Amino acid sequence: MTDPALAICTDRASRHHQLGNTTIRALDEVSISIPRGEFASLLGPSGSGKSTLLNLLAGLDRPTSGAITVLDKDLAKMTSEELAVYRRLTVGMVFQSFNLISSMTVAENVELPLRFAETPRESRAARVKEALDRVELGHRAGHRPTELSGGEQQRCSIARALINHPTILLADEPTGNLDSRTGSEIMTVLDRLNREMGMTILMVTHERAIAERWSQRMIFMADGQFVSEARTQNEARTQNAARTEAQA
Amino acid sequence: MKAGDLLELAGRNLRESILRNSLTTAGISIGVASLLTTVALGIGLQELANRHIGQSGLFDTVYVTSMQDGRGGPDDDAEQPKPKQGAAPAKVLDENARQLVSQVPGVSSVDPEVRFMGDVRTGTVTANAPVGGEVTSSTPATSTPEAAPSVTPNAASAPAPDASHATFVAALPMSSRRDEAFENMKGHYFSRATAAEAIVSNRFAKEVDEKTPGSIVGKTITVQFASREPLPGSTSGGFSVVRKNETVTVVGLIESEPFGGMRRISGAGIFVPTAITEGWNVLQTSDFRGVATDADAQKTYPALLVQVATAGKVPEVQEAIKKLGFRTFSILDATKGLRRFFGILDIFLGIFGSLALIVASLAIINTLIMSVLERTREIGIMKAIGASDGDVKTLFFTEAGAMGLVGGFFGVLLGLGIGALINFGTNLYLTQHHESPDQVWSSPWWLVLFVMAFSIGLSFIAGLYPAARAAKLDPVQALRYE
Ligand SMILES: Nc1ncnc2c1ncn2[C@@H]1O[C@H](COP(=O)(O)OP(=O)(O)OP(=O)(O)O)[C@@H](O)[C@H]1O
Ligand SMILES: [Mg+2]
Repeated sequence: MTDPALAICTDRASRHHQLGNTTIRALDEVSISIPRGEFASLLGPSGSGKSTLLNLLAGLDRPTSGAITVLDKDLAKMTSEELAVYRRLTVGMVFQSFNLISSMTVAENVELPLRFAETPRESRAARVKEALDRVELGHRAGHRPTELSGGEQQRCSIARALINHPTILLADEPTGNLDSRTGSEIMTVLDRLNREMGMTILMVTHERAIAERWSQRMIFMADGQFVSEARTQNEARTQNAARTEAQA
Repeated sequence: MKAGDLLELAGRNLRESILRNSLTTAGISIGVASLLTTVALGIGLQELANRHIGQSGLFDTVYVTSMQDGRGGPDDDAEQPKPKQGAAPAKVLDENARQLVSQVPGVSSVDPEVRFMGDVRTGTVTANAPVGGEVTSSTPATSTPEAAPSVTPNAASAPAPDASHATFVAALPMSSRRDEAFENMKGHYFSRATAAEAIVSNRFAKEVDEKTPGSIVGKTITVQFASREPLPGSTSGGFSVVRKNETVTVVGLIESEPFGGMRRISGAGIFVPTAITEGWNVLQTSDFRGVATDADAQKTYPALLVQVATAGKVPEVQEAIKKLGFRTFSILDATKGLRRFFGILDIFLGIFGSLALIVASLAIINTLIMSVLERTREIGIMKAIGASDGDVKTLFFTEAGAMGLVGGFFGVLLGLGIGALINFGTNLYLTQHHESPDQVWSSPWWLVLFVMAFSIGLSFIAGLYPAARAAKLDPVQALRYE
């Protein structure tokens, strides 16, 4: 049994790619755990397996070996239909390249997960408005993603990620395509989600400064393997957040 | 995903590459139109043929002959029962047989088929003289010295000044009025079943009066023919052959042969009502055989024409009459080949028609595969935010089906338009060539429904591979795709 206070727990999770005779160990026996309500960041050089790990946690990919437990459920044992439901309701994803559908307006992009979740039509507009307001993008609802700045696009994709009120937010270099000022804006939004909604966040980043400033714990990876972890000054907040959640 | 969302997303995707999808849909429309047009043409032609044969009154007619007769009618059918060797002699078609046949359920009337050689003159002659002497079954035939020695018309006894014209005379029941030949005739059909009236063929009218064949209508003509008269006091079934004259008034002139020229009597020069010929006691070839084979030879008929209440009952009636021991023939037998021909024609037209639709469904496959490639990243995004493989699959299926539905709808409209044009064109041609307009293209509602369903079904099948391919996309790869 895993610890119920843990949001994410991997046990020697591996993801190998077979290319001809060579095996590429994109992820090699990584065991990490992230408690509920924590804002953790994942650091490491390019090609160290950060995105691979995030995709496994998002249920977009399956480990070749090892166990991945999210909220007490073993993702490796889920059917692809169950994984779809998991992606729909339990996790939200934010990408470096925003991944918005350009033919849809901001509001339509944000509404899309509600369609897959079969949310009744009547409640959708309010949900979309609430999500857009949370990222301060309500005034751009009718615009196309191409008409928005990078920061606005990323806020739109965050709104889409949280529309189904997931417990966990997985962000793969959310500020990677943005200048530092806009990056800070995005980090403020993520910080609020973590603090106000108690959302567990795992963020991949290249920039140690960002990780130190916003997250509570840093996990270092290299060559597909876990290297070390370090707590930041924000650590105390984790306990606060956990306590708030326990009381609720 | 709910149906409403599915349709919305599919519609949005189709509109996204509107030109490409419209072209594909137009391809389906053309395929559907081609299928509809060709099959409907086959059906139209078949209906046209049926209509013309149906009008000839042959569809609800059964032709009955005696099994004695080697011939079963226009076409000797191998399926007909053959009289067994040494079995009781085959039944003759006499009055008794006629009664039996008329009692078969479904039979509405029974008329003897009467056709004989007659010598026709304009004007009135009343003298009846025996020809060819007596014929008896028990005693050798003896010539009557007073009688003319042969059946050849005697020029001396012919009333001057009109020349005589040898021609076949045939009897028609009142029910034959429906035949196409009498539709545009000069004059009219027999006024009553027993009217002493005649309708002449154009050929005969021309023989009488080369320049103004039409002038024969309204004239009185005398038909001279061989009649059988019972021998007074004879119980042996013998009879004497007597030359007889009957006078009828020509009331009509027909341009074309009745029954589409398909019956033995079609080529006759003169037609008279069946009812009046019954009193004429016309000598029929079957009479001689009756004398030869049957001791108490009654008057017999060479053939009976059985009118069936509805064409659908023809097989039943045929079966019942066969059981009575007679040979039957109906146009259903003759049209077996025709129906097979149209069946094969329909299949071929259907195959050629669907070729275009099959090509169109290849275009759907192509379009959807392109769409899957173009939208690879989008599919990855949808999966990342919670779309299941099934959602993605149904989305592409819906797009394929929508193209099939819309293509089918416009294809049906296009097909109906082409059909109307075909009918218009043929009618224009027919009226220009002084023929009555007709419908060569006919699309029954079930064909329209079938073609629509075929189009949608084929589109779904075309969507199978692209939809499966989209559903199988690895989201991680798809998200990396540019
Ligand atoms: N489908 C694949 N086939 C083969 N190798 C792969 C595949 N996917 C990932 N890899 C390899 O796995 C390793 C880890 O990749 P990953 O994308 O997780 O790195 P990353 O840490 O996210 O790097 P970056 O910071 O550049 O995004 C890389 O060396 C990559 O080449
Ligand atoms: Mg990466």
